Amino acid sequence: MQWPKIQWPGRKEDRELRQEIEHHLDSLTEAYRKQGHSEAEARRLARIDFGGAEHIREECQEIEWWHWPSQLLRDVAFGVRMLRKTPALTGAALLSLALGIGATTAILSIAEVVLLRPLAISSPDHFYELMWESKDRIDLYKSASGSNFQDGAMRVADFFSLSALDAMRNSLAGKAHVASHIGKQPASVSAQGAVVVAPVHAVGGNFFQAVGVQPERGRGFVDEDDAASATPVAVISYAFWKTNLGSSEDVLNTNLRINNVYYRVVGVLPQAFFGIAPDDDTEIYVPIRQSPLWLQERSFYRERGAEPKTWPTQIVVRRMPEISELALREQLQAAFASSWVSQPVSVEKTPYLRLNNAAQGLGSLRRQMGNPLLMLAGLVLLVLTIACVNIANLLLARSVSREKEFALRAVLGSGRGRLLRQLFTESLLLALLGGACSIPVAWSLMKLIVTFMPDGFARVAASGPDWRMLAATATITVVTAILFGLYPSWRGGRVNVAPALKEGAGSAGTHSRWTWAPAKALVLLQISLSVLLVSSAILFTGYLWDILHRDTGYAQGNLLFFDLRPGEAGHRNDRLRQFYLQLEARLATVPGVESVGLSQTRPMRGGGYWNTIKLPGQTAEGGISAGIHHATPNFLDALGVPLLAGRNFTQQELARDAKVVLISEKLSRELGLNNPIGERIVVDNIEQEIVGLTKDARYARMTDDPPVVYMPLALGKVDSATIALRTSMSPMALLPTVRAAIQELDRDLPLVDIYTMEQQISRTLQRERLFAWLCGSFGVLALVLCVVGLFGLFSYTTARRIPEIGIRMAVGASRANVVKQVFAEGLRLTVAGIIPGIPLAAYAGWIARSQQLLPEDASSYAYSSLAIALGILAASALLAVAMPAIRASRVDPISALRNG
Amino acid sequence: MKKTDLLQGTLDLLVLKVLQQGPQHGYGVAQKILLKSRSAIDVQQGSLYPALHRLQKKGLVSSEWKEAESGRMARVYALTQAGRQQLAFEEEQWTQYAAAMGLVLEGE
Repeated sequence: MQWPKIQWPGRKEDRELRQEIEHHLDSLTEAYRKQGHSEAEARRLARIDFGGAEHIREECQEIEWWHWPSQLLRDVAFGVRMLRKTPALTGAALLSLALGIGATTAILSIAEVVLLRPLAISSPDHFYELMWESKDRIDLYKSASGSNFQDGAMRVADFFSLSALDAMRNSLAGKAHVASHIGKQPASVSAQGAVVVAPVHAVGGNFFQAVGVQPERGRGFVDEDDAASATPVAVISYAFWKTNLGSSEDVLNTNLRINNVYYRVVGVLPQAFFGIAPDDDTEIYVPIRQSPLWLQERSFYRERGAEPKTWPTQIVVRRMPEISELALREQLQAAFASSWVSQPVSVEKTPYLRLNNAAQGLGSLRRQMGNPLLMLAGLVLLVLTIACVNIANLLLARSVSREKEFALRAVLGSGRGRLLRQLFTESLLLALLGGACSIPVAWSLMKLIVTFMPDGFARVAASGPDWRMLAATATITVVTAILFGLYPSWRGGRVNVAPALKEGAGSAGTHSRWTWAPAKALVLLQISLSVLLVSSAILFTGYLWDILHRDTGYAQGNLLFFDLRPGEAGHRNDRLRQFYLQLEARLATVPGVESVGLSQTRPMRGGGYWNTIKLPGQTAEGGISAGIHHATPNFLDALGVPLLAGRNFTQQELARDAKVVLISEKLSRELGLNNPIGERIVVDNIEQEIVGLTKDARYARMTDDPPVVYMPLALGKVDSATIALRTSMSPMALLPTVRAAIQELDRDLPLVDIYTMEQQISRTLQRERLFAWLCGSFGVLALVLCVVGLFGLFSYTTARRIPEIGIRMAVGASRANVVKQVFAEGLRLTVAGIIPGIPLAAYAGWIARSQQLLPEDASSYAYSSLAIALGILAASALLAVAMPAIRASRVDPISALRNG
Repeated sequence: MKKTDLLQGTLDLLVLKVLQQGPQHGYGVAQKILLKSRSAIDVQQGSLYPALHRLQKKGLVSSEWKEAESGRMARVYALTQAGRQQLAFEEEQWTQYAAAMGLVLEGE
């Protein structure tokens, strides 16, 4: 055995020991020669007397301090050489490890942020988000602002009246901080001359006490700041301070212009605090009564917020240690009940508080992404299992093929412990190398995944993979690698040295069936899990493909959107209207722009403004829910929605906010109008005349197709608008010219949310894309790993059965027979693996539907994708078996028998 | 008779005893042990070396490279002061042990 040339510790000692042993052997040989033995015989006798020289050297070294590191280095160097000797196998194992560990780490890291990571606030466990739930719709409020959702049989909502807020604050004074906040929205912020659009969160005066975060510089808010008469102040995030104010030292004297109002910066939040939810990207906090939401024209909060039946605010609570969670809930509930305008008529119509612990942040993201992430985590753990199985299999295959080497080493005096250590080192080396390769995989996968997640999530990718997750995942694989790497030495006791050495290239030895039993079981497991993964891959990618190829009703290419917020920059009423009209006219002259239109709701943003449409005289029950889109006449041209009958509205109608509308075919059909032109409909209690009929178009999102009403956009009253450009060339290339044209009208107006239609569409399909991409890649991964596993298994088994095949062919088996036999075995194994996989896959499909990841009617989908998956798996399995089968059929009986 | 398996301590004692008569290289130690025990104790000669190295590590034996009779360089081992004391102690122990064993066996 030749050791690699590395300067070991103890090298000199080793050389001396060799000399010593050499001297002893020479002297013994000399003595035997004098007794009349031949030179060769004398040498042989000397060696017998002396014993195993290698073994003795090892024993001498074991007592030295340098023994352990030196052995380790040798083992590692030897391990590296062994791994390099089988590059295909090592490559496959490393790939399995890197992808398995990397993917698992990425998903688990993101899941950790969404589900587990506590906010950077003091004692996060004492921080709560307040909600209420009721069985039936309650009639204690008439209008509200906030979110609600269905949780099983309960309706859950997060909005409260201002009187409820006051009652809770008074009742719990000194025991808990009860603070209000009313939502986050983008606003134009002018800082140091540059205008940016930043998320601004309107919060109550005691918000920061309730959250439990102390500004790093300056102060938080006090109740006096949250008053209509107060001087406007703002607290900014660390990121905003750094990016937009250049980490300026005198930040506390800086003024920010937010939507045309000047705010003095009074505090900068700590770097670690990024908001009150995992995806919270708030950059500026302002007091509610000084917030854009409050100051804007026709503000819901200012004008109607204090009405008893208006529930406009969200509430967060921090509990002091003195009061228990239970007592807190009881007191809050009592205060809540005392604020109601009337007593609920039944228990079902009574709202009960939910005190949701918000240590990990407010729950909307958890509700939206929590279960999907858990599902993905489950799937990725299956991928990891398959990867581990693959490594196990590859190491098993390798160990079986190395049986001869181990037998030889045992004969040369290597103890079982020594072999064990060598195998251990090799497995560990493989696992560590794989672990190292997995880190970049995890990084890039996380970057990819966050592009499919809500915007605030970009930060998650920046924080990189969670090291604990990486460690946990790596440990699983390392343990697998070591466990299966050591398998041959565990079998060591069973291997009889002499037959193992004799076996040579292979024989139909009695233990070979047993040898392959664990390998076959592992491949079976792999195939059944692959059925699940491959069918979900097809299911989700197929679903996304289907969505993306639905007819939108207009051409998706060459369409650019961006938002402008001139109202926030000081344009008002007629000036605002003039600005919009000039803008539309100016942009239409930009070369490459075919048409320009303005609208209030951006197409494919997912949301919109909805209302119930009635025919005059119809009751509300007969109404039809439709999307209402306020737009300029040119907007339909720019979007490319064809007019089927009647006419578009005119610029004059736009200028005087005429009561004219266009409706979509679907709405016309659902209202039962044969010839809608000239008919009237009622929108928000106002009668409107239908002047045109448009083709149906998907407006809010690709996944639904609601009836639509187009109405003239009241240009003088909207602070912001979406501009749609239909271009004759690549839209992004036009952007600089467009920007310059807008600057001619207003130097300081930033263009916000610039997206092409394709980008806009993909943003509404984040979850669908997340699942399609990840499940798709999991499926491909599973398939590849499965093929590698099967191929490995069959290459080794057939290689070792060559003598048997030789005999069969010698006694008359044809090549076709041999191929058939190997194929039959591969097919048997595949079918045996597929059968338990089918219910697994069906179950996964059911979960996906119950989690609304797929529409309810997707079950036919699920069956066809399962069928396709089975076909693909069977085909790949046969492909994996084909090469070993063909190789087996090429066996030359004569040489096979001779070598056996 | 099956060749005796030597207890580790016993081999150490034999080596020390042989070296008491003067410095010796490994081969010489092996031959002396064979000669003295009239080949009844058959050590695998190689196993002397781990014993010698162990003794050296303990400071009971020192070694240096010298020219041997054959004219080649050989490592020659010699007893140290500590080695002499250890030998005396172990001989004493062994004698007591052997005497005790003798008494018991004769008593049967």
